[in-house]
Amino acid sequence: MTTLSGRLLKTVAVLAIVVWSLGPIVLGVLTSISTQRDVASVPSHWLPHDATTTAYHELLQGTRGAAAGGTVTEAGTFTRSMWNSTQLALETTAITLIVSTMAAYAFGRLRFRFGGPVLAVLVGTMVIPIFVIVISLFQVLADAHLIDTKRGLILVFVSTLTPLATWLLYTQVKEMPPEPEEAALIDGCRRWQAFVRVVVPQMSSGIAAVAAILVLSVWGEFLIPLLLTSTMNAKPVTVQITEYVGKYTTNYPILAAAGVLALIPPAIVALLLNKRIAGMLAGSS
Amino acid sequence: MRFRRSGGGGDRAARETQILGWILVAPAMLLVAALVLYPLTQGFKQSIRSGGFLFGELPGYVGSRNYRDVLSDQTSRDAMRHTVEYVLLAVSLELVLGIAVAVTLHRVFRGRGIVLAILILPWALPSVVSGVLWRRVFDPDNGLLNSVLLNLHVISEPHVWLASGRGAIVYITLVHVWGVLPLVSLVLLAGLQSIPDEVYSASAVDGAGPWRQFRYVTLPLLRPSIAIALTVGTLLAISIFDEIYVLNGTALNTRSILIQVYNTTFVTADFAHGTALAFLLAAATAILGGGYALLLRRATV
Repeated sequence: MTTLSGRLLKTVAVLAIVVWSLGPIVLGVLTSISTQRDVASVPSHWLPHDATTTAYHELLQGTRGAAAGGTVTEAGTFTRSMWNSTQLALETTAITLIVSTMAAYAFGRLRFRFGGPVLAVLVGTMVIPIFVIVISLFQVLADAHLIDTKRGLILVFVSTLTPLATWLLYTQVKEMPPEPEEAALIDGCRRWQAFVRVVVPQMSSGIAAVAAILVLSVWGEFLIPLLLTSTMNAKPVTVQITEYVGKYTTNYPILAAAGVLALIPPAIVALLLNKRIAGMLAGSS
Repeated sequence: MRFRRSGGGGDRAARETQILGWILVAPAMLLVAALVLYPLTQGFKQSIRSGGFLFGELPGYVGSRNYRDVLSDQTSRDAMRHTVEYVLLAVSLELVLGIAVAVTLHRVFRGRGIVLAILILPWALPSVVSGVLWRRVFDPDNGLLNSVLLNLHVISEPHVWLASGRGAIVYITLVHVWGVLPLVSLVLLAGLQSIPDEVYSASAVDGAGPWRQFRYVTLPLLRPSIAIALTVGTLLAISIFDEIYVLNGTALNTRSILIQVYNTTFVTADFAHGTALAFLLAAATAILGGGYALLLRRATV
């Protein structure tokens, strides 16, 4: 039934998807290895004349106080922000996974009083848009002296991501066969032992997918850290990048270099775990 | 005693389950209560109080005044209109393109796994980074768009893309759609794959061509997935912020409600009106979310 024109159409469509998805990333890489002169010429040179790593040097080692085409960078700042993002992503993910795995198991397998309503409230908070609470969060954190600290940010990220993570893991617990846990209980395991030794290993593929989604979410957070950080003490890479956008002109190679470096970690996570992420996103939404 | 399933042992096990349940749920509940629910009530309190000495007034309860102020303020109203434009444009693009992507990737072909992995990439990247990657395309002096259009003689002089009203919103939406389309496509693709093959063979026997099949078999069966995609797309677009901030800052011609909230609260330090506007947006989001939930129920039943 597949005609030649149908096959051609399909090939074109697949190519279009690939070009649309990768195009901006390739363009970013090309820009980051261009010279400021190539980028600024009219019309702009899209393929660099002489590929150079100048932008990366300037980004990482600083423009030595001088504005390079509208952008000023300082040595070590970008690296620091990447490190901040890494710490925020890993610590938030670890804590959120522990908190939400426990909750998901309790909601899914244990019959305890008010369990249903509590789950409803927890999941219900997912519809609260973050910007409604972020303004008063600022004051809550200021009272606790947690403004501009990684600890404060992690607390906020964990609290806002726990409902989603709990819901994703809860749906997984509901789909798992209960027999292994029942067998462990009959063998004389206490309930918590069965949870730790039998149920958690059973959940491992779901936990991996949720971990990936959490890492990507935290790495991409922007509005919350924009408001709750002010110095390199806690500033993540997303916020730092926006400072390379010059007020009047922008040094595109430096900006693109920052973008390319910041997209490497999430790209690796997405490529490594793409099947699990896709399954979780498509299945539980 | 007769009615107890297994006497004293069962009682103890039941009590243990009660206690264990609460212990396991407690950390999640405490965190959400302290850092989501408490700020929520504080924020609401703030939205019905005056701005305070900073704005030359006594602090105190003012009822719905801040809400009325915001609703009649021209800049906020423009932001609301822009937000409606962002949502309508983003959601329609995502649905049309999402269905096209899902139909393309539905059948197995060589390299499909790689294409799926590539497809997910834009979603995985921070939206700030998407904005950075696209920024050079729309640069007014020598961006990609201007170079291409100048070379094709579509325009005679460089166009300042992000300065014109409607155009700027279209370009920012495009960048937003770039990041959200993978998610929408995956939801629709999962929907397509849940349609059993027999449905198609049956309709083929009835003599339906590919277009009629798509129109009368695929689309109706895809309705639940379309409802989910619609919900996800709307909720993400209504709170658009990052892409605008990176591509055009707080410029008036592209301000969304959330950019306006940010500007009111953290640039002019007017917490009272900022939170009021934020709560209005939350209410709109909740109403839309509820509406979609009903739509989804009807689509699945």
